[in-house]
Amino acid sequence: MSARAGSAVGLAIALAVWSLLPGGGVAPVAAQGVPVGTAQNAVGTLVVVRTDGIEHRLQGRGALTLFEGDVLRTEAGSQALIQLRPGIPVALNERTTLKILSRWEKAGTMRILRVSRGGVWAKAGDGARQLEIETPAAVAVARDAEIDLKVTDAGQSALTVVQGTVELGTPFGVCSVRAGTASVGARGTACTAPQPANATAAVSWKQAVTQ
Amino acid sequence: MRGIHMPDLKQAGIIVFSLGLIAGCAEMQVKEEEGPRARVFVANESSNSVTVVDGDSFQVVATVDARNHATHDLAVSRDGRWLFATNLASGRLSAINTRALETVASIATGDRAHVVTLTNDNRQAWVANIGDNTISIVDTSTFRILGTIAVGKGPTGLTFSRDGRFAYVSTQGDKTVEVIDTVSHRVLKAIPVGTNPHFLVLGPDGRIWGTNTGGTDIYVIDPATQDKVGAINVGPAPQQIAFGFKGLQGPNAYVTVAGLNRVVVVSADPTNLRILEQIDVGQRPNGISNNREGTRLFVVHENSNDLKVIDTGSSSVLATVPVGRKPIRVVYHGS
Repeated sequence: MSARAGSAVGLAIALAVWSLLPGGGVAPVAAQGVPVGTAQNAVGTLVVVRTDGIEHRLQGRGALTLFEGDVLRTEAGSQALIQLRPGIPVALNERTTLKILSRWEKAGTMRILRVSRGGVWAKAGDGARQLEIETPAAVAVARDAEIDLKVTDAGQSALTVVQGTVELGTPFGVCSVRAGTASVGARGTACTAPQPANATAAVSWKQAVTQ
Repeated sequence: MRGIHMPDLKQAGIIVFSLGLIAGCAEMQVKEEEGPRARVFVANESSNSVTVVDGDSFQVVATVDARNHATHDLAVSRDGRWLFATNLASGRLSAINTRALETVASIATGDRAHVVTLTNDNRQAWVANIGDNTISIVDTSTFRILGTIAVGKGPTGLTFSRDGRFAYVSTQGDKTVEVIDTVSHRVLKAIPVGTNPHFLVLGPDGRIWGTNTGGTDIYVIDPATQDKVGAINVGPAPQQIAFGFKGLQGPNAYVTVAGLNRVVVVSADPTNLRILEQIDVGQRPNGISNNREGTRLFVVHENSNDLKVIDTGSSSVLATVPVGRKPIRVVYHGS
């Protein structure tokens, strides 16, 4: 093997090893200005507040682009449906406020919704379609799962799992919540032991906006 | 007997290569067992980076990109493997692997993430977000945010009691230190302390020490009574506090006083607070940290962009180390 060929092989091996590294080398921290999804439907009004304070409103069907840092808000009588990239549908019930965030890690970026009040339905997949939902008292980690999460003004967070298994974590412990069960995370307490729940009834509110 | 052919040569090569790797790993294992070296970490707010300095030779080892903006405060894990850095402008916490010397995660905490402190068991990082008036609770293994605690206006300082039962949060807007029950996550009490309270730290006797950066004094809170039990004027814009000994004398509190360009040395007995000495340092001192033995102080200066190493025995500067722009915080981890 010639020296040149040897160098080429060495370079190829180095590139192959580099490509196998988590994150494949340099990866950017959450980039502002990169679209992360779209708001597709609103029953009533969905208010989207950008990081610079500019407000947009969606009423009925549409395709309002969403960005990292956006705050989404529905008031009484309003619901909304958004689609996060690369394919995570999320519905907002009335009186819901959430912020779109992410966590960058070398292994990849996790999409995060920070819900301060209200209720959301979401259907997460695996890989980049995973979703974490943060509340003032807990975090729900959804992977290949369909969930409903209700957050009171005091931050109490009630998770019902429709499909799959979801981790509900609080500062005091983690619960594994399976399909057809529900668990609650509240300030200053561990999540409650999952109990059987009527998952179909829990998500019936979303029918009007997801049709 | 089989003759040697190409695949066998390849296998032999792989075996030799693997043995080399094993030998290398064994050597690495021996080196790791020797333990990590002492390190000094400096947060450079205007460089968005952390300077890593050898704690014995005082040479710069590396500069780590925080992958965020306005790197402000630091907390190092007890084993020294993890460093967490707040980033004011990004509202994010950087998780830095101190062996690889690189940022491996960026966690969205809240608006104007100001200070970070690890719980006593190091399982959680608590981050004070000035813009949101909240504390974010971050799981240090998964980097997930497990919850938030609403606090008073402009939380700027954060520390825990010795037993971990209470967290103390200084609030610039309310001019208080709030006491949080770490079991119920509720604010138990707000202690009035003075103008623009800022930095908080656990003292060597278990009391909580704080600076009123908008004023001229420092104060002491006793966790047994949750009351302010002492205060002393040290000069304009006191910033941060470390502790050490001067020979037999001590423990002493060493306070960076930005308005004097000095470190003011105060007896650490809250029943008899008095100024013992003043040490001239660089331009606008802010962060200060001590080594484990309390014989060395590490002081960073916002205006001169450097770190000074001070021998507490002689109160003299042993070394001046250039760091990044606008260094705010320095933490030490011993070997």
